[in-house]
Amino acid sequence: MKSEHSITRRESIKKLLRLWGGLSLGGASLISLPGIKPANASANASRFLVDGVGRTQGYSVKALTRKIFDAVGGMEKFVSKGDVVAIKPNISWARAPQLAATTNPEVLEAVVELCQEAGAKKVRIVDHTIHGAKRCFAINGAGMAAKNTGADLVHPRSSLMRDMKMGGNRLDVWPVFTPVVEADTLINLPVAKVHALSSLTLGMKNWIGAVGGRRNALHQDIHQTIVDLAHFFKPDVTLIDATRVMVRNGPSGGSPSDVAVMNRLILSNDPVAADARAARLFDFEPDSIGFVQIGHQQGLGVYDTAISRQLEVAV
Amino acid sequence: MKIKHLVWLRRCSQAFFLLLFVFLVVESRLPQDFYLDYTQLVNGEQEIRLQQPVTIFFQADPLVWLTSLISGHVLIKGFGWALVVLVLTLVFGRVFCGFICPFGALHHLFSYVRPALNGKRLAKANSSTGSRRVKYFILILLLTAAFAGVNFAGIMDPISLFFRSLALAVLPGAGTGLKEMFDFMAHTDIKALNYLSYTAEVLVSPVFGYGYQAFTTGWLIGTIFLLILFLNRIQTRFWCRTLCPLGALLGLCSRFSILGLSKDIDRCTQCGKCTQSCAGAAQPVPGESWQKSDCLMCFNCHNTCPAGAVVFKWRRPVNGAGPDMGRRAVLGGLTAGVSLPFLSRLDGQIHKVSDARLIRPPGSLPEKDFVSLCQRCGQCMKACPTNVINPALTEGGLAGFWTPNLIMTRGYCEYTCTLCGSVCPTGAIKNITIREKVETPVSIGSAYFDRGRCLPWSGNGPCIVCVEHCPTSPKAIYFYEGEVIGPDNTRVKVKLPQVDLKRCVGCGICENKCVVKGRPAIRVIAAGESRSVRNQIML
Repeated sequence: MKSEHSITRRESIKKLLRLWGGLSLGGASLISLPGIKPANASANASRFLVDGVGRTQGYSVKALTRKIFDAVGGMEKFVSKGDVVAIKPNISWARAPQLAATTNPEVLEAVVELCQEAGAKKVRIVDHTIHGAKRCFAINGAGMAAKNTGADLVHPRSSLMRDMKMGGNRLDVWPVFTPVVEADTLINLPVAKVHALSSLTLGMKNWIGAVGGRRNALHQDIHQTIVDLAHFFKPDVTLIDATRVMVRNGPSGGSPSDVAVMNRLILSNDPVAADARAARLFDFEPDSIGFVQIGHQQGLGVYDTAISRQLEVAV
Repeated sequence: MKIKHLVWLRRCSQAFFLLLFVFLVVESRLPQDFYLDYTQLVNGEQEIRLQQPVTIFFQADPLVWLTSLISGHVLIKGFGWALVVLVLTLVFGRVFCGFICPFGALHHLFSYVRPALNGKRLAKANSSTGSRRVKYFILILLLTAAFAGVNFAGIMDPISLFFRSLALAVLPGAGTGLKEMFDFMAHTDIKALNYLSYTAEVLVSPVFGYGYQAFTTGWLIGTIFLLILFLNRIQTRFWCRTLCPLGALLGLCSRFSILGLSKDIDRCTQCGKCTQSCAGAAQPVPGESWQKSDCLMCFNCHNTCPAGAVVFKWRRPVNGAGPDMGRRAVLGGLTAGVSLPFLSRLDGQIHKVSDARLIRPPGSLPEKDFVSLCQRCGQCMKACPTNVINPALTEGGLAGFWTPNLIMTRGYCEYTCTLCGSVCPTGAIKNITIREKVETPVSIGSAYFDRGRCLPWSGNGPCIVCVEHCPTSPKAIYFYEGEVIGPDNTRVKVKLPQVDLKRCVGCGICENKCVVKGRPAIRVIAAGESRSVRNQIML
């Protein structure tokens, strides 16, 4: 399974390069080659899982975000000088950030700042939103976070969607929101929520917001398509925002009573481990969540308990 | 001030108001680069309002003021501007038409830049004919119909017509063309074109956004607009002379104006230049009687006369020089105006059964009051961020022609958006707050399942996209785990969605996002809309 997958991946990259035509390797910084970094070579030793906990009253979310990255050597581990960084938060709903339908803008802002400090040339905030993008950005805090930091907020649109070869078990060719893959570093920044169909929406499911096309049809085999997407996008690192989590009426919520404050962040370079750990926050066993279980089976990653390098930071 | 300067002042004023109008049309959308400060937010109730006074032209339109007063018995917000225009007209004549009206300015531009006619043919085309009475017919028709409670003014009102044409036909037309060009450039393999497409799309986004609006019946609105523009090739400012009901109203008021044309027949050389240059076919030439109510106050005749035989002067209004409306135009207008409200009620839409597809924007008045106020201007349709509001063709019956109608396959009503009500110039859609909309709740209809189409219900597997998108909390669409018979007599265990009518507000996001396209498996109908007592479902 695994070797088969890496071939299709290479093929897809080749195809990408051909599509974009005449590109010298020197200029390749614009084109994504996610997944060929040694850090992703998935030797078990290099996997890590960090829990961030906000213990004190009125703790700084930004400080916690900083600390959780520092625990594994800082953002410099993922972002090199001159990199183009794509951050994929979940900012799909035009809901106030306090309703926890979207990634906490403070976390988003902190991650952008860390990338910039690490020397990123450009930081792009990319999400193919569900509600109208303009209202999403205005209301859920993503727009303000981009404005405060100077990051690019990319408006999803048809001209930025491009058919790409996924080579997944269920998804073969599917339109992809190109700014997500046209980056040197890809950071997954989901919010943890309950979900009507898939029980939870965590890191791997966040990639549904990185594709276009008839994505509502993905619900018909949601767990396998989530794993296919997670295989394709394979981020350099996943930071799950569980500072505020939606515990009912997910994934859109809408009422403050749907929200529980957990003051948690989960950082991992293993997408399955991150989701597995986050699932426990909702009292779910990892293998009771379809996409986590399939991701584990199909070699996308391992459960959190299998990670040897586990850390905890707190503020 | 020399007359030459006055003519230039007029041109500048026309250009200014035309550009201002186009600017306000463009600005009738969610503000650009507007972000709520998330550290200050406590809930989702922060109102987003437009940054520009986009309805100012409607407020300055005496016809809008008058018809909404007669028909809906309300004084619209900002109607003081309309009174200012009326006072100006009483003093100076139709200066609104000559100096301010953006639609008139557009016609002026089309008529005078490379005119189709010249010499004797132009003079003939600019002579006064009986066709000028048509506008009085239209005005009387509209006012009479308004008395009976059906307000059709907006179909012919120049401000409404121009706004509707620009917002629903011209801009979407240009936008669709651009979008196709950008998509083409972005999907070529030439890198420079990719970047050009990306940059250009960002540059035009303040005007077109990224969503590219499109409207049902946009083609009809656009065709009528082009036709009206084309008429300028036949007669200078054809619309203003012959058709404009606002021009007719102002023409009636201009009767008492004290700025008048004084003619000196002894100086006149009969060169005909004044007639050739006349925008309103108001007979400026000495020897004929000046048609004050047709004069658009463009001052062309005064400016062009080489002998100084036609000059504008302050003077007492001449007694008995009323506008030549023509008895047939008056009687015809009255007859048609009385007939129209009857005709528009023949379909029973207002009093009996309304079309299930007729879904009004949130905060709309009950149907009878709605059609007595709606200008069909398209302001709400332009402002709507999801493009769900479209001009109705048949859904609203005759009385509801071109009134706003929500088509959920094209968009959906954002749960916490109240933009349409905030831009409605006459209050046909109330300016509600988000809190009112959510807590009342203001319902615009209700959703129902078509189980034969629905994937889980029809045994075709899991879906419940509708549940995911349902914006109310708790959700109006819920599910239970059940068993249905699937292909080959298999028993399929799936989550089966259902609608809780007490919670459903009819926002239509379920219909919009349903995977079954064209005719979705969950659809919203007007039943249950809170504005109508008759349409309630639940006890």
